[in-house]
Amino acid sequence: MIKKLLSFSFIGLLNVFFFWIAFFLFNNAYYALGALFLILVFLIDFFIFNPKGYPYRYVAPALVLLTVLVIYPIYFTVKTAFTNYGTGHYMPKEEAIERLLYDPVYTYEVGNEAVEYKLFIAYDGLIPMYDDFLILFKIEGTLFIAEKPIPIKKKGKDVLLSEAQLIPIESSTYQRVPQSEDLTEIRMITSGEKTYRAFYSPQEEFLRLNAPLFKSRIAQFYLQKSEFVHPNGNRYALRIDRTGEWSFARIERLYRLDLMQTLENDKPRTKLIVVNNKTNRPLIEREGSFYDVNEKNEEVYLIGYIDFVGWKNFLRILRDPRITGPFFKIFVWTFLWALLSVVLSLAVGLPFALVLNDPKLRGRNIYRTLLIIPWAIPVFISALIWRNGLFNESYGVINKFLLPALGLPIIRWMNDPFWARVAVLLVNVWLTYPYMMTISLGALQGIPYELYEAAMIDGAGKFRRFTSITFPLLMAVIAPLLVSSFAFSFNNFTIIYLITAGGPPIPGSTTPTGYTDILISYVYKLAFQAGTGQDFGLAAAISILIFFLVGGISYVNFRFSGVFEEVGK
Amino acid sequence: MRKLLIVVVVLMTLAIFAQTKLTIWCSEKQVDILQRLAEEFKAKYGVTVEVQYVNFSDIKPKFLTAAPEGQGADIIVGAHDWVGELVANGLLEPIPNFADLTQFFSSGLNAFSYGGKLYGLPYALEAIALIYNKDYVPEPPKTVEDMIKIAKEIDAEFAGEVRGLIFPATTFYYVVPFIFGYGGYVFKDTPSGLDVTDIGLANEGAIKAAKLLKRLVDEKVVDPADNYQIMDSMFKEGKAGMIINGPWAIKDYRDAGIDYGVALIPEPEPGLVARPFVGVQGFMVNAKSTNKLLAIEFLTNFIAKRDTMYRLYLADPRLPARKDVLELVKDNPDVVAFTLSAGNGIPMPNVPQMGFVWGAMDDALNLIVNGKATPEEAMKNAVERIKAQIQ
Repeated sequence: MIKKLLSFSFIGLLNVFFFWIAFFLFNNAYYALGALFLILVFLIDFFIFNPKGYPYRYVAPALVLLTVLVIYPIYFTVKTAFTNYGTGHYMPKEEAIERLLYDPVYTYEVGNEAVEYKLFIAYDGLIPMYDDFLILFKIEGTLFIAEKPIPIKKKGKDVLLSEAQLIPIESSTYQRVPQSEDLTEIRMITSGEKTYRAFYSPQEEFLRLNAPLFKSRIAQFYLQKSEFVHPNGNRYALRIDRTGEWSFARIERLYRLDLMQTLENDKPRTKLIVVNNKTNRPLIEREGSFYDVNEKNEEVYLIGYIDFVGWKNFLRILRDPRITGPFFKIFVWTFLWALLSVVLSLAVGLPFALVLNDPKLRGRNIYRTLLIIPWAIPVFISALIWRNGLFNESYGVINKFLLPALGLPIIRWMNDPFWARVAVLLVNVWLTYPYMMTISLGALQGIPYELYEAAMIDGAGKFRRFTSITFPLLMAVIAPLLVSSFAFSFNNFTIIYLITAGGPPIPGSTTPTGYTDILISYVYKLAFQAGTGQDFGLAAAISILIFFLVGGISYVNFRFSGVFEEVGK
Repeated sequence: MRKLLIVVVVLMTLAIFAQTKLTIWCSEKQVDILQRLAEEFKAKYGVTVEVQYVNFSDIKPKFLTAAPEGQGADIIVGAHDWVGELVANGLLEPIPNFADLTQFFSSGLNAFSYGGKLYGLPYALEAIALIYNKDYVPEPPKTVEDMIKIAKEIDAEFAGEVRGLIFPATTFYYVVPFIFGYGGYVFKDTPSGLDVTDIGLANEGAIKAAKLLKRLVDEKVVDPADNYQIMDSMFKEGKAGMIINGPWAIKDYRDAGIDYGVALIPEPEPGLVARPFVGVQGFMVNAKSTNKLLAIEFLTNFIAKRDTMYRLYLADPRLPARKDVLELVKDNPDVVAFTLSAGNGIPMPNVPQMGFVWGAMDDALNLIVNGKATPEEAMKNAVERIKAQIQ
């Protein structure tokens, strides 16, 4: 009974938690992800309460993790591959338009009407109530009163624009004390029982002491994105003026939305456009960016947004000579690198495993521990030690002591294409042979001893026993792991990046390409380093291609090594 | 019960306070001083300013990731050449005019301007200069010929234990003074801004500079394997006669007890002036922050003041961006020397296209000093690569 109660309360909590996540996501405008969570919580409940869904109960947590960690990132990558997401295109189109329409930056001041203001707030005893205030304006000699602006345009929780009406004080319910036309003399405003006392005015020395509070408690929350509307339609807003003073000025919005009739394929269509209020010209929209035209008739870049570009990124990979040029060279090296990494580290790891598997060897645990150390040290540390401590051309151990001691000429590890490749391979073999050793060791222990006995009776020598028994049986077990190790090396960005960063450069290439660049490091350079910043769209497109490439190669490998059949038995 | 009530009230007040919190991302050198300034700001405005230490090279990438989601710092402290990219992404808020604006050097303000608007409050200018160890180099060289002569003498005298001249020859930034000195340029400066289609890195002057670099390597004055870390640590250990480095490194050398001097980078040829890149450090405001007004207030009414700027200088002694602060520190010979060097310099372009130049030029210099390509080939190819990427 208690057990049931506990499990029910756990499920209840889980439900609440998921609903909370979904709610949070919806609130922050991640609708797709939010919907996904709702579907998930529904599925989980279904599996738990429906007797038929019993087996799925245990699959459900895995399903959740799979969705969040694998499926959604894949969906996001594929989605990004078809957009121009990258430098200059960082926000959705709605946000770009919202900015043009509501951001205070896209306003301009008009006229130079004298606007004076004084802020009054309500007190609770002696404590000022910063969220209950009135602003008294004096515009061209007339007194207006405005209440706290009310949000009229919101996006999620964020307020885009607030508004308040300017009401002539005579026609409002507010009374000023004393009845004066001079702002500096008015000390209080009353409305029925309620009194508002003077709090801030830039003109009065005494009230100026409150400037920090006015700025941090009132302006910060209620006046940043607020506009005050005059009965004649003019708009006033808080701006920082030329002297650094926070004052109110008459403003005009720079852009507005409008509809335009266009002919598309001879059919009239209505299009939503953004128009410059000053020049009355529509903004030019090209390749996911808005451009305005200035007085000199020059195009000025305004703002860019994430746009759907179709297959453009994929076509670029195939057609852009900057990318296709070195692609083949890099591909061949990447393949070699992955293959050699696996073969060489197995060649180092397997003999160690054979030796360690010999029961006659004493102190096996000590050797095994020592041999696993390279694996245990964080890659970042060992890679940096290799690069700076061992491979440095002037001060590294190899060039400074080892080679001269052997009477050999020094090697230019980082600047000679061949030796740079040797260097990265060397480091990778050092880092991965313990893995090869460990998996071989495990597999070796699974080979029945009777087989060897039988072989010995048949008169097979040590070598023959290895080639006919140990190796084939070992491969049957570790081949899938070798394939996955190949796929891992294929995309082993860390080693390349930390040791050579892809260098030395290939002379005459028009892209940032080096001799040790593998596909993924090349993509990184193209998408994040070389360009005018980042190009997530292109990077996503290339990652998808690499996915198919690695997938294809692995599939062929699996087939070739007959692993599927072996495992299927 | 009353205790509980007090706790609740305190928590609520904290929650209200937590709503307005300015966050600043800055690098190591500014953390302490900004934290002290933040305390003062809080005392005056009741607004907490949280100063977070982020590695200098991580600030921009981190900001680019966080800011679009509305998560990034309200203010970042960084270099002026980030402006182009950050503005293109709509992440920087223009800074309006303020009272002390006229007190700032126009070079600093121009560096932070983009498309006619100011996007950053400059606080320090920097340019590299020749730094020499007086134990080995009593009088700094005036020309490159002198420099080679002195370097060779030191190399010969100490048989490699002390190096005459070290500078990262494969890093474009440190080679620029010679390239510009001979008449090379990155993007042509026109009245309407930089013309990114006119690249002067393969012109006669730039190639002359590349040949000079090759000569330095061939005559074994410069080692192609040198990098910034080697240069910095060798000089700190007193094992280098001359290096080319910026004002940010001076404090370490002084702390290490090196008897150093700062001088102009030697003239590549008598009569030609070496021209380093001038970089400007400053404060920028996140356009997606909900505290934009307060952030601007913090910068223009607090950071931009003379006293604050002076304290910033004391904490991180680079060239002040404010004229009256420079007056205050004029008796410091290092500042004067770096100022003279910066006076010859050219502002680093803040257009996003500059991103292509660094990698292409570093690769070209790498090929030259390692003898994989002739200076002409390497420079021409680098320019082609930059052009191909700009298109």
